[in-house]
Amino acid sequence: MQLGENVRLAVSGLLDHKFRSFLTMLGIIFGVASVIAMLSIGEGAKREAIAKYQDLGIKNIIIREKSLSDTELEEVRAKFSPGLTIQDAEVIEEIVPGIVRVALQAEINSEVKFYDKSVKSTVIGVSPDFLSMMNYQLQNGDMINQKQYDQRHKICVLGAGVANSLFKNEDPVGKMVKIEDQWLEIVGVLESKTLFTETVGELAARDLNTDVYLPLSTFLNRFPRENILANEIQQITVQVENSNNLVEASKLINEIIKRHHFNNDDYGIVIPYELLKQEEKERQIYNFLLGAIAAISLIVGGIGIMNIMLATVMERTREIGIRRAIGARKVDIMSQFVTEAVAISITGGIIGVFLGITLSLSVSLFTDVNTYIRLYSVVLAFAFSVIVGIAFGYLPAKNAANLKPVDSIRYE
Amino acid sequence: MLISIQNLTKSYALGDTDIPVLHGIDLEIEKNEYVAIMGPSGSGKSTLMNIFGLLDNPSTGEYYFNGINVSGLDDDSLSGMRNKEIGFIFQNFNLLPRINALQNVELPLVYAGATASERRERALSALDRVGLTDRIHHKPSELSGGQKQRVAIARALVTNPGILLADEPTGALDSKTGVDIMRLFDELHKEGNTIILITHEQQIANYAYRIIHILDGIIHSDVPNNNKRNNF
Repeated sequence: MQLGENVRLAVSGLLDHKFRSFLTMLGIIFGVASVIAMLSIGEGAKREAIAKYQDLGIKNIIIREKSLSDTELEEVRAKFSPGLTIQDAEVIEEIVPGIVRVALQAEINSEVKFYDKSVKSTVIGVSPDFLSMMNYQLQNGDMINQKQYDQRHKICVLGAGVANSLFKNEDPVGKMVKIEDQWLEIVGVLESKTLFTETVGELAARDLNTDVYLPLSTFLNRFPRENILANEIQQITVQVENSNNLVEASKLINEIIKRHHFNNDDYGIVIPYELLKQEEKERQIYNFLLGAIAAISLIVGGIGIMNIMLATVMERTREIGIRRAIGARKVDIMSQFVTEAVAISITGGIIGVFLGITLSLSVSLFTDVNTYIRLYSVVLAFAFSVIVGIAFGYLPAKNAANLKPVDSIRYE
Repeated sequence: MLISIQNLTKSYALGDTDIPVLHGIDLEIEKNEYVAIMGPSGSGKSTLMNIFGLLDNPSTGEYYFNGINVSGLDDDSLSGMRNKEIGFIFQNFNLLPRINALQNVELPLVYAGATASERRERALSALDRVGLTDRIHHKPSELSGGQKQRVAIARALVTNPGILLADEPTGALDSKTGVDIMRLFDELHKEGNTIILITHEQQIANYAYRIIHILDGIIHSDVPNNNKRNNF
């Protein structure tokens, strides 16, 4: 018998028992929907993590001071730790192999003023490569160049948020702003950056758009430390050639700084790429669990189909007998019932795909969880529903085909 | 020779014991014969009919259909022969309830692999042959008993089978409708069809040209019908 005939039969069979068919599909619907929703949530989390760590640089090792109270600071100084210094950075660059470049930063929290307006800001003195090393993009003007650095120019580059707060309709480039008691000329404005929402090691969550960058040389010269015990610089960022060397390089760096700081634990090392990998691993376990739950619900859905198909075969024993008497072969009966099971699971699969997409979109719409639907997840979930239909329709169909015509035609 | 049966027995396993139903039947039926098989219930006539119709296998003995020894055939070949060579007509019609009369008649052609247009054409002509031209788009539940039996006969005829096997075809019908159906059988026989009629009613058996009595699983008598009934 032709496939078209089977499909027509199966569809009319479904329509004859709409409510029953719908109930039978529920397992598949929820299974498929949960696979799609789950994978989209996982994918959203993955993309968010990648974006976050990309901002920190996936070939970077970040060495940052620990934030210590005044008494703790006195304690580590008493134990001879000089704190994080430019010299630390120089030694690292000299000793550790495979380093592309090293960037330094020193920071104060202050206010940036322009006429009567002022905005709270993290003022950061950086070495010349820092901005390009961190992949910061300009929306206007220029980055800090080597000459400005060497000659300790009084210039700065504004984060997008600072520029927006101080300058409404004017071009900030060329204007002068005042920080503490220093006047600085604005040479560039950065593109807006996504919020750094999570604290990672010693890196506190903050809004990068409120940063103001100036040459480290100018910074050290013009902004004296409030506390004489404070570290000379707050952060050293090391970029390596090959991300495979990250762990080894960071071990070496740790050895160097530990010795310099006389075993004082006053700094922390963050390797964004390693954190990304670790997070990925954790997410994998989580994804596996969710996948198992989704798979179980698909299997339960399949069992539901099998149950109904067994009942249907029973109920239609007479029909099977009649069909056999007028010439249906076993394979005809078999394919008729498998087609029916697959029709149930495909219909359930289609409804499940729509439900899953709706679920995923509403999750990203109504919560702060990001979701991202990838085509493969839809195809995978749908294919799985078809396979479930075939697998769980097979046994009832085989039972139907193996009924003896002489018995089934007399079945009441 | 259309049907030739030699020393055929059939027994059913019931627990450990075999219950014999047919004990050694020998029978020959020519093309274009009109035979009634009579017997009380439990005599084995339905079992014999199932074996004729290839729905069941004999336990021992030989069954030649059109010269072919059917005991050597596999399930698919038997299905094919049921499809092309045998037209069943049942007491309770055995139409599929969810499809209409025309689709019921088309069904054997679906399994024969005919195209949709060919099926339609042949089903319409078979329905026309049994005198059913209107109500062909109605479902069986919307048809009278006589109409249902006509649909069933059209379904049996649609593949031009070698033999029509009718099992108590008037059993569920009132006597007037029953007589109408018997007239139709008479006409089909005159057109060259071979008919085997299973019945326990002498009245109905008398429409045939040859009457075989089965009793306790053996042929009790096999005689030409000298009182062939022609009043419809």
